[in-house]
Amino acid sequence: MRTTKAERATQLASYGYVLAVSVFLLVPLIVSVIRSLTVTLPGGMTTLSIKPYLEIAEYAFWPKVYLSLSISITTILIDTAVGVPAAYALVRYNFLGKRVLFTLLNGVWYVPGICYALSLILAYYFLYKWFLGYWGFIAAYTAGFLLLMLMTCIVAFKYVDPCYEESASCLGAGRLTTFFKVTLPLIGPGVSAGVLLIFVLAFNEFITAFLLNLPTKLMTAPVKVFADITRARATPYIAAEAAVLQLISLAVVIIYLRVVGTKYLRGVVLV
Amino acid sequence: MKPLALLTPAIALEVGLFFIPLVLLGLVSFTLRDSFFFEPKWTLENYADMFTVYAFDFQITFLLVILAAFVDLLFGFPFAYIMTRRIRRFSDVFRAIMLVPLFGELYIAYGFYYLFLPGGPLGFIFELSGVSAVRAMYSMETAVIALAVYTFPFAVYNIGISLQGIDRAIEDSARCLGAGSVETFLKVTLPMSLPGILGAWLVSIGWGLGAFAIPTLMGGAMVSQRMLSVEMYSIALLQLDLGTASAIGVILALIAVIIFYLSLRASRGALV
Repeated sequence: MRTTKAERATQLASYGYVLAVSVFLLVPLIVSVIRSLTVTLPGGMTTLSIKPYLEIAEYAFWPKVYLSLSISITTILIDTAVGVPAAYALVRYNFLGKRVLFTLLNGVWYVPGICYALSLILAYYFLYKWFLGYWGFIAAYTAGFLLLMLMTCIVAFKYVDPCYEESASCLGAGRLTTFFKVTLPLIGPGVSAGVLLIFVLAFNEFITAFLLNLPTKLMTAPVKVFADITRARATPYIAAEAAVLQLISLAVVIIYLRVVGTKYLRGVVLV
Repeated sequence: MKPLALLTPAIALEVGLFFIPLVLLGLVSFTLRDSFFFEPKWTLENYADMFTVYAFDFQITFLLVILAAFVDLLFGFPFAYIMTRRIRRFSDVFRAIMLVPLFGELYIAYGFYYLFLPGGPLGFIFELSGVSAVRAMYSMETAVIALAVYTFPFAVYNIGISLQGIDRAIEDSARCLGAGSVETFLKVTLPMSLPGILGAWLVSIGWGLGAFAIPTLMGGAMVSQRMLSVEMYSIALLQLDLGTASAIGVILALIAVIIFYLSLRASRGALV
């Protein structure tokens, strides 16, 4: 079929519009990267340089990145262990009050971050004093992001036909064997979507970490960026810090999309 | 009770770390200042303050997030329409880009903050046009745009899902019956996607209410236009008035939950 001139023009305009909006969404990332690579020399000249990326070590940035990475990975492990069985139960069993339970499990997602963070701080001071430290971050994020694992796993379980599980058990596999040898490999990609989302959100989480920074004296990487912005405004090394965090997140997203694709993110965060 | 056993860890996690803290927040909101932790002095004063002292903060917060939600609709509807109807090549690239605002509002806030900083890339434009860059940085317009970038993906998911839900056969039959493409759009596609648009609008408002880094670094931090999230933080941790901060938190959480509930009733978008 030959396309007419008008069709080609609309197509071009469509791509142009989507491209323009996408670039606008990328402004923060682009700005951080450009700023982090430009250094003003004593004479007033600006030049390209990777010096800001070397400077961030002097400002003790990398330990904060390791802390953020460690917190996100621990959160992912716990949420996977808790979320996969829960999603399995929500998809494969019917019981009274299932919808209500699902809504309640997701409730935390609908409460503004600052309210959740303040309520957690109060709870840590008043009830769970042992959480005023590293595990307080883990506790906050596992509860806060469990929904992401539930949603992606529920979507994944719906792709898997129960007949595979049934035939496995017909052939003599027990419930556990069936789950680990049949179900889990089949929903693997779905679990990975949950892992991706929890990583991206936990690694960059700001409000809760910001409030927990006071009592715990632990500073995650995004809080470090914020503290530096308020202290030293927009010097290049801060842009380098922000760029590093965004590029790590972007790299994880790109690797994920290369390996798994968008299938398991559709209906969760993608159209 | 097999399902219960599988669900217990998840339920325990949410009860212990979401519902109990939330109840605690509710309790603290009825006590005077930080008395809850020593000798609780019960009072309703915190809630009375919402309608007097903080009424203006509520107004300004809603003004900002509602404006941002309209900006989202204005740019998000064409975006979602094109993504679901017109684009095939590179569609995954654009999808991936939609994930970038999920990295968090901190980077969005920083990006715009730097753009407007005196001596920054856009600073000279403002100086030339006679507007002070600092004023532009702390202006309401900038805050609205930054908030709109933050909530944009959520709006697009909602609209996109409702556009995908429309049976293409209905549009085709409108065409067969003689409607032009504009008429088909105005009389079929647009009305059928209205629930999604409403859902998207509400979702943007809900997410905007939770923004913290954007209002802290840009417009929305100044006393004349301070958003509730910033106000809550400074009342709780700088003035140590936990009672008032909790009361604001309770009201804010209630409003957000109602908004998300209404948006779910209007349309079932992705991730809300």
